[in-house]
Amino acid sequence: MSISAETAKEHAKDPAVLCCRAEEGITIQASNLEDPAIFDDLVDSGLLDLTGALTIEQVLGAKLTKTCDSLCPLTSDVVEGITAPTEKKDGKQQNVAYADGTDPILRTGSVQKDWTSVQGGVLKIHIGEGKDIDIELPVTAATPAESSVQTVPAACGAVQTPSADKIQDPEAETEEKTVRSLTRKHYRIKEVKRGPETKIDKDVLYIREGIEAECVASQELVHDLKIDIITPEEYHTYSETIMDVQPVACKEGDCELGTGVTRVLDGVVMMVTGTDDNGVQIGEFGSSEGYLDENIMWNRPGAPDKGEIFIKTQVTIEAGMNMERPGPLAAHAATDYITQEIREALKALEDDSLVADIEEFHQVRRPGKKKIVIVKEIMGQGAMHDNLILPVEPVGVLGAKPNVDLGNVPVCVSPLEVLDGCIHALTCIGPASKEMSRHYWREPLVLEALYDKEIDLCGVIFVGSPQINAEKFYVSKRVGMMVEMMDVDGAFITTEGFGNNHIDFASHHEQIGMRGIPVVGLSFCAVQGALVVGNKYMTNMVDNNKSESGIENEVLACNTLCTEDALRALVMLKNAMAGEEVKKPEKKWNPNVKSSNVELISNVTGKPVELVKNEQSLPMSKKRKEKYD
Amino acid sequence: MTDRKELQYGDKMIRMEGVIVEIHEGCVGIDLKGRLGFLKIPMRMLITEYPLKVGQEVAWNMSFVEQLGPKANEKYVSNLDTYIRHRKEMEEKNEEGGRQR
Repeated sequence: MSISAETAKEHAKDPAVLCCRAEEGITIQASNLEDPAIFDDLVDSGLLDLTGALTIEQVLGAKLTKTCDSLCPLTSDVVEGITAPTEKKDGKQQNVAYADGTDPILRTGSVQKDWTSVQGGVLKIHIGEGKDIDIELPVTAATPAESSVQTVPAACGAVQTPSADKIQDPEAETEEKTVRSLTRKHYRIKEVKRGPETKIDKDVLYIREGIEAECVASQELVHDLKIDIITPEEYHTYSETIMDVQPVACKEGDCELGTGVTRVLDGVVMMVTGTDDNGVQIGEFGSSEGYLDENIMWNRPGAPDKGEIFIKTQVTIEAGMNMERPGPLAAHAATDYITQEIREALKALEDDSLVADIEEFHQVRRPGKKKIVIVKEIMGQGAMHDNLILPVEPVGVLGAKPNVDLGNVPVCVSPLEVLDGCIHALTCIGPASKEMSRHYWREPLVLEALYDKEIDLCGVIFVGSPQINAEKFYVSKRVGMMVEMMDVDGAFITTEGFGNNHIDFASHHEQIGMRGIPVVGLSFCAVQGALVVGNKYMTNMVDNNKSESGIENEVLACNTLCTEDALRALVMLKNAMAGEEVKKPEKKWNPNVKSSNVELISNVTGKPVELVKNEQSLPMSKKRKEKYD
Repeated sequence: MTDRKELQYGDKMIRMEGVIVEIHEGCVGIDLKGRLGFLKIPMRMLITEYPLKVGQEVAWNMSFVEQLGPKANEKYVSNLDTYIRHRKEMEEKNEEGGRQR
């Protein structure tokens, strides 16, 4: 298929190949050329050989000296009057990072070997390969006295904003402003026991015997509920699919979610599992049933940490309700009956000596710095594809609204509301990539963006992913408008899992990107979750994959967003805001892109990025039969 | 875990058609035309342009299913055994409950 003049411009440096037969003597125009997007497949299958092919910018306006068939690459033998190529700059630009590790300008889409850094007052320029390189440095830039002053590379002209000017002039910066604060008081629990009443006695949590019957009675659809207390010694226990992992936390006094004081129990998490009356898993697909120690990727933001005690409920719901909306919700609500009773006991604690640790979170606005928003796409297709937004208690049920009922429209929350459990996730399928309730409680991107002094995180937008395409575009346009009104300089878009949610994920990129705002997307992609759609605004992507082979490996939370992904995304967005282009991805998933980028970031910032382990660190199930109960 | 084996027939893409026969809030059931099987997929794996109705025809590209190796994965065997056992226990329990009622 022939291309338009606009496409030809975009692909100026790509090979020129005829799209259809062309006669001798014609002047080559864009309409004579084939779309370079399809070349990779043709080259792979041996149908096309691009050796010696001229570029599109070279052949446009030139004369064809020989009649050629379709899919014939244009070489200098058949073309007359070639336009001289413009200077190639890609891959040869110099990147400068400063002594304090701020503003590292990296090409994070792929590897770039040439980089420059100023560390400890020494200017280092390393050029792996290249020619015709001009380096111009103002003489003062290399002096130590100036090394702490940040300058924005000339390339950022396109996105120059008043705030960028302010970055150049530290005196013009306005002071940081703390909007609100949140205090987390940690109470250490070392043992969980059953007893006559639910209470916390020093470091022992007692759960009332017989509470199960009340949980069952509280929900019409729940027919049975069993509580298992899983200690680290019992990790090798069979469990039904893990539907959710939740922190046990409550607000102190009259504090509202996202502000004031939150009390949280350390060393213990709630875990929801269940089946229907016929033994069919709730959230039937992509199940993580099996031995707990082989199915949990420990210490992921959404997963339990190794060493924690699980209060695991096994809920039985009415037959056939496992795939209907009220089913999973009932299982969650019945479990929350227990959590709520623990919350009441936690609220009643008066002995401050039991507080093992105090954590302070401040929502700081940094006027003058680049303003950023995080858009988090959550599932809203129905049944287990749902989330409860803004409960009264952290990760509670009461007071929350399901985002499906809200029509999946975008909802703005403060970063501290996210960290205070404003999302009670009914967590859909795909155990490796789903974001559990606990994930939001420890959301790495929110935390990193909040602490990054170079940017001004203005808030978080949650947007649901509806089932029908028309609704997807409806909500996506609202996201675009909302972001436009925020006047941000950059945006992150995250999504969990893969499937039709990538359609709105792409649309969010378009809606924000078309407003001239740089966007960085985070999703599990790799092999199995490869994006189903794309558009020209989806140039900056961070893959959350950690699994060895790039697939949904059925290990809980393995492929979810971790600190290492947040750091890569932050660097990528800063680059995008500075006008740096991110290199195109390779045709097939290549895990080396990530490792090279991580290495580059570590080199420039001087801080190593620690990578989390993947499923290979878990026990393998070779002698499963012998262990089988 | 099975070592990743390259598919031998992975590029033999065939257009498959089917009919939506079950609609739940979290998933749909699809009969493959020509009695070639049944597919149950979660909602997010279905791309929906119109409101869903039983009887709507759907299509997708797929290839043949190939074995990855001769070994049975003990993990899945064990899970399956447990699953069958649990289902049997629950059936018995349901029957008992029915008799008592």
